[in-house]
Amino acid sequence: MNIELRVNEQDFRLVVEPDERLLDVLRNRLGLIGTKEGCGEGECGACTILMDGKAVNSCLVLAAQAVGHELMTIEGVGDRLHPHPLQKSFVELGAVQCGFCTPGMILSAKALLDRNSQPSEEEIKEAMSGNLCRCTGYDKIVKAVQRAAEEVAR
Amino acid sequence: MKKRGIGLGCGWYGTGYGNGFPDVSSAFVEIHDDGSATVSTGAVDVGQGSSTVFAQIAAEELGLEPQDITVITGDTDTTPDSGTSAATRHTYNTGNAVLKAVREAKERLLDHAAHEFSCTSAQGIELKEGWIGVIGDPSRRQPLADMVFQARLHGERFISAESSTARTTPVDRENGQGAPYWPYAFGAQVAEVEVDTETGLVQVLRIIAAHDVGRAINPTQVEGQIAGAVAQGVGYALMEEVELHEGVIKNPAFSSYLIPTALDVPNIQTIIVEEEEITGPYGAKGLGEPAMVPTLAAVVNAIYDAVGVRITSLPATPEKILAALVEKERTFGEGGMRQNIDS
Ligand code: FES
Ligand code: FES
Repeated sequence: MNIELRVNEQDFRLVVEPDERLLDVLRNRLGLIGTKEGCGEGECGACTILMDGKAVNSCLVLAAQAVGHELMTIEGVGDRLHPHPLQKSFVELGAVQCGFCTPGMILSAKALLDRNSQPSEEEIKEAMSGNLCRCTGYDKIVKAVQRAAEEVAR
Repeated sequence: MKKRGIGLGCGWYGTGYGNGFPDVSSAFVEIHDDGSATVSTGAVDVGQGSSTVFAQIAAEELGLEPQDITVITGDTDTTPDSGTSAATRHTYNTGNAVLKAVREAKERLLDHAAHEFSCTSAQGIELKEGWIGVIGDPSRRQPLADMVFQARLHGERFISAESSTARTTPVDRENGQGAPYWPYAFGAQVAEVEVDTETGLVQVLRIIAAHDVGRAINPTQVEGQIAGAVAQGVGYALMEEVELHEGVIKNPAFSSYLIPTALDVPNIQTIIVEEEEITGPYGAKGLGEPAMVPTLAAVVNAIYDAVGVRITSLPATPEKILAALVEKERTFGEGGMRQNIDS
């Protein structure tokens, strides 16, 4: 089927299968491989993207369901020269180890900060609890989100 | 009722492959004529930060910044084998190989520089902040890049290849004697938990983790390794269990095999102990796996401190804790009379 998707403020016309997952379209058809697949069943959060500003698991969304929505992947958050405060704080505080969870973590954190710019530690943990990380013990991730919140507030 | 308890766990751990298995790491180093250097090694950084450690080691030796070092890893076409990213071995073993290789290339460079500066010995030459020169004589120095560039025009290259083999001997099967591992890592952790006596649920509130890393080459990464290990340890102690049925894993999914989320992980305070390991690079030794060992005992001991039951099989699930509480009540009556168990 023919669809049109708006990803990272760009419009794409695509031909997709009716049952094709948004995750696969982003990775395989658009080459946006920053979005990861950890479990494919909505448990790990590695595939998190923003849909109209809300964090969703792109492995549970069909590409066709994303039509008409504003999508953002990690590629749209920032880049090497213009990193988002979250990307900066993750790097500076050592919140990235293997990095597999990182894109999802950043997007969940961004969704949180966009609606609550001064979250408490509990609110951060709550917001990130759908994103599994096997490496960091979350300690530095939570601190990185706190640091980014401070920077955004400034 | 929610009851709190505190427990201590201590652990030691032999790092490296051990038991006589050949444990070898290798590295190539080249100092370039733009004043940078390359380290090539098969050692793969899977997130623990070994490549950063190698860059730091090379930079330290050459008087450069870590960002001046290119670390090339894990390419069987170009990098020399350094074994697996396992057994808590890269900072120590591959770190040693990198250090040896850098020192070898550096020795050649210093010899060359001594000649250029008309200095009697290479010991009079230092590498500092991107410069090479005669110690104590600021008039005789030049950018490292210039020195290496001029040397190159004269056919001199500063390239080296080295390897490092960990000390290990197999254990004698007859008498149990031998030195299977070197070095050993040590750590101790204290856990504070809260146990809900109605549901059997355990929340780990706090972990204080002290680990001897010999020398923390990268303290941020040391903290990261400890926090990661504590989280895995909490999962190991309380929730993670591979359920096997006739050789088939029954819970091969995150929905049935639970691992800790941000909400399950306690507040973690790390204490880095630096007791120099003289055989390690700058005194460093490994930390990855051993940091998980004390967590289990600390959590299970804290459960005992809180509600007076000993859980002897992992994970300490709510079912096991409730069953143990019922058993305790049956044996000692209402309230449990914990003193009876203790004495
Ligand atoms: S891949 Fe989508 S939640 Fe794990
Ligand atoms: S950094 Fe490895 S899973 Fe999070």
